Amino acid sequence: MSETLPAPSTAAGPGDDRHISGVPIRLDGVTKRYPGQGVPAVDDVTLEIAAGETVMFVGPSGCGKTTLLKMINRLIEPTGGRIHLGDEDVTDQDPDQLRRRIGYVIQAGGLFPHMTVATNIGLVPKMLKWDDARIAGRVDELLDLVGLDPEQYRDRYPRELSGGQQQRVGVARALAADPPVLLMDEPFGAVDPITRQRLQDELIRIQEELGKTIVFVTHDFDEAVKLGDKIVVFDVGARVVQYDTPERILAEPAEEYVADFVGAGATLKQLTLTRVGDVDLLRPTTATVGSDSAAAVAAARAAGDDYVVVLDQRGRPISWPTLAELERTTAIPGTVDERLPVVGLRSTLNDALDAMLAASQGGVVVTGRRDALAGVMAVETVMAAIQRTRTGGGAR
Amino acid sequence: MTASTGVRRDGTPDPTAPEPATQAADERSARAGSGGWRALLWQPVMLAVAVLVFVVWRAAAGLSDVESRQLGWSALSRSVVEHLQLTAASALIVLVIAIPLGILLTRGGMRRFSPLIVGVANTGQAAPAIGLLVLLAAWTGFGFRTAVIGLVVYAALPVLRNTMVGLQGVDSRLVEAGRGMGMSALAVLLRVELPLAVPVLLAGVRTALVLLVGTATLATFINGGGLGVLIVTGINLSLDALLVSGAVLVALLALAVDWLGRVVEHVARPRGL
Amino acid sequence: MWEYVTERAGLVAFQSFQHVSLVVQCVLLGSLIAVALAVLVYRNPAATSAANGFSAVGLTIPSFALLGILLAPFGFGITPAVIAITFYAALPVLRNAVVGLAGVDRSLVESARGIGMSRVRTLLRVELPLAWPVILAGIRVATQMVMGIAAIAAYVLGPGLGGFIFSGLSRLGGANALNSTLTGTIAIVLLALVLDLLLVLAGRLTTPRGIRV
Repeated sequence: MSETLPAPSTAAGPGDDRHISGVPIRLDGVTKRYPGQGVPAVDDVTLEIAAGETVMFVGPSGCGKTTLLKMINRLIEPTGGRIHLGDEDVTDQDPDQLRRRIGYVIQAGGLFPHMTVATNIGLVPKMLKWDDARIAGRVDELLDLVGLDPEQYRDRYPRELSGGQQQRVGVARALAADPPVLLMDEPFGAVDPITRQRLQDELIRIQEELGKTIVFVTHDFDEAVKLGDKIVVFDVGARVVQYDTPERILAEPAEEYVADFVGAGATLKQLTLTRVGDVDLLRPTTATVGSDSAAAVAAARAAGDDYVVVLDQRGRPISWPTLAELERTTAIPGTVDERLPVVGLRSTLNDALDAMLAASQGGVVVTGRRDALAGVMAVETVMAAIQRTRTGGGAR
Repeated sequence: MTASTGVRRDGTPDPTAPEPATQAADERSARAGSGGWRALLWQPVMLAVAVLVFVVWRAAAGLSDVESRQLGWSALSRSVVEHLQLTAASALIVLVIAIPLGILLTRGGMRRFSPLIVGVANTGQAAPAIGLLVLLAAWTGFGFRTAVIGLVVYAALPVLRNTMVGLQGVDSRLVEAGRGMGMSALAVLLRVELPLAVPVLLAGVRTALVLLVGTATLATFINGGGLGVLIVTGINLSLDALLVSGAVLVALLALAVDWLGRVVEHVARPRGL
Repeated sequence: MWEYVTERAGLVAFQSFQHVSLVVQCVLLGSLIAVALAVLVYRNPAATSAANGFSAVGLTIPSFALLGILLAPFGFGITPAVIAITFYAALPVLRNAVVGLAGVDRSLVESARGIGMSRVRTLLRVELPLAWPVILAGIRVATQMVMGIAAIAAYVLGPGLGGFIFSGLSRLGGANALNSTLTGTIAIVLLALVLDLLLVLAGRLTTPRGIRV
């Protein structure tokens, strides 16, 4: 059995009509002064973050961006200024109550090693006195949302998970009580580049579904460009140097400081602005595991392809054997190709290029919602895009 | 002596001294311990055999009057029970004092006192147990109560230190994660920090117990009772049977307590670690 | 108490010397035995775990009990004291020496063999020097521990400061009993601190510069 894919749905960008469950955050003259230090760590920051937006905090280490983030959920108490969530002034609210309404994700997920995945995720609902059945249902729903099979993962302990899986559970835990705001403190700092790229794609997908207000601290400018609706570039004392969309920060850095921080390869940086979903994808011949090999080979020949993308029962790509390899089989094999290069629709061309280089392949498989196949991208497509940005004069 | 020197001055040394090298050894033995019950089963079998040998010897040996009086089953069991009472009473007091104190010394503002307390405790630890017991006896008189006080002073340090080391060893990011998701300080302590500190904490408790069994032998010098009576009487009257019986029984008791501690550690170790 | 000590300065000094001399000699002997044992076992996993088990169980046995058991065959005097103290001194060193030797980076050993060093030479020039800080930590633990055990050995007529404690005990309530016990106890604490300092100093002097922390 082989079939042709429907056209990949273009992912909704910000500004499009979409579901928003977040609330705006308003920081008003927020200051943190540590006793015995002359210069405040965070000096009089005023910032508005719109509901449902992902705002990236970037800046050199020690610039106060993490301190500012931790003042939003009052892990660090501000010494001055007010913090508003929605219409509420939360500056003097009981911090424990406040934090149960704010998701918090840190590096490696911060999972408790002595609790199972399900217990970890269910902690906040438990504190909010949900009943057990509701918690169990929510845990499964969240595991599914972050792309982990509940049956398989719910009773595991964190050390039985890979770094990427731990991070996914960390995100699920933060979302458990459906908080309107998510704070993320360099969550993907400790995973390898390929896993990081997948986690980023996953986050983009989840955010499109949920529309939370996300504040995300990173030291990786590419990550900021990829994930952020807006980017805040900080200097020492959490001075806001520029607060704008990634496109405009790349095109018009407000100060030399930002230009330096953004870095030299601005043309290549533009690659992080173009999403895989924005370019035309190839529609490969596909076949489901267990179906007839000969039919698949024939269909591929008719379409002029020299490979077939094999899908599992849920439509997720698991390998892309050549026709020669398939001809040696009678039924499509279910072996999962661990090295299959995969990116999401919201991945950047930069990610796609990385994935190809890492796998030494001339193309990459693209997946959409729930990891289902969306198409295939060839290295030529990326090259053409680079060519376009060069001749188009690039950003600067 | 510095705070990092995990040293017991007498009785039983401290196998959980928080020095890098010793810790490595501990982790290794912990892993071997959690590797299976086989290692844990070995010890009681050996102990049972040893007890059996002792019982057979006791029944068969030709004993002098004094010896058979002291080694009569009732006298013997009284000595053993006394010894266990000394151990249990002081262990209980040690737990009640040292664990809360250890928790307190790792909390917020109290943290700056912890080097001071540990330093004092370590220096106090340099005093030989027998000297400590005699000095206490001069102050509060002979007897069971004084012996227990001395034993408590002596065995508190490993529990205190391991409680602190265990709690300090909990990844601070996990504490922050707990606080960040809205758990109260107490909830983080009870649900995150203490469970994660359990292996180290229990190792300290086991050390203290073994130490107590050994040091309780000295209680006899200040009329505190216990199996030391057999040893001292044996030494003073040159009755080898008595002397060896007491020594062997104390050693077996210490090994049995050690084994019990290991079993508890094995069972109580949180899964997922 | 100061009067008590100055009146008996000669005796205090003599017993202190005896105590320290007993401890130092036993620790030296015990360390030699322990390091030799560790060298024999550290390449063999089964022997290593047997050695670790031995030191763990050995450290569980109460010192007074062991002294008692040793009295039966050897009688009163210096012999049971030396045997018991050496035994307890060897155990922490054995444990640390095994850990230290096993902790030496395998690639370093291979490169030593690779440049043509013999097995023995590798051990002496590479492995033992690298394991030395860990072994020395074991020696410190051992020294502190047997300072106290040596006090108890006085009861079986071993030499040393324990004599002051036991003579105080036997005359408790009488004149100078408390002074005697205090003298013994405090002298042991002070000497233990001095020995520990000396060992730290020895560590500074004997640890290869490149691996000093």
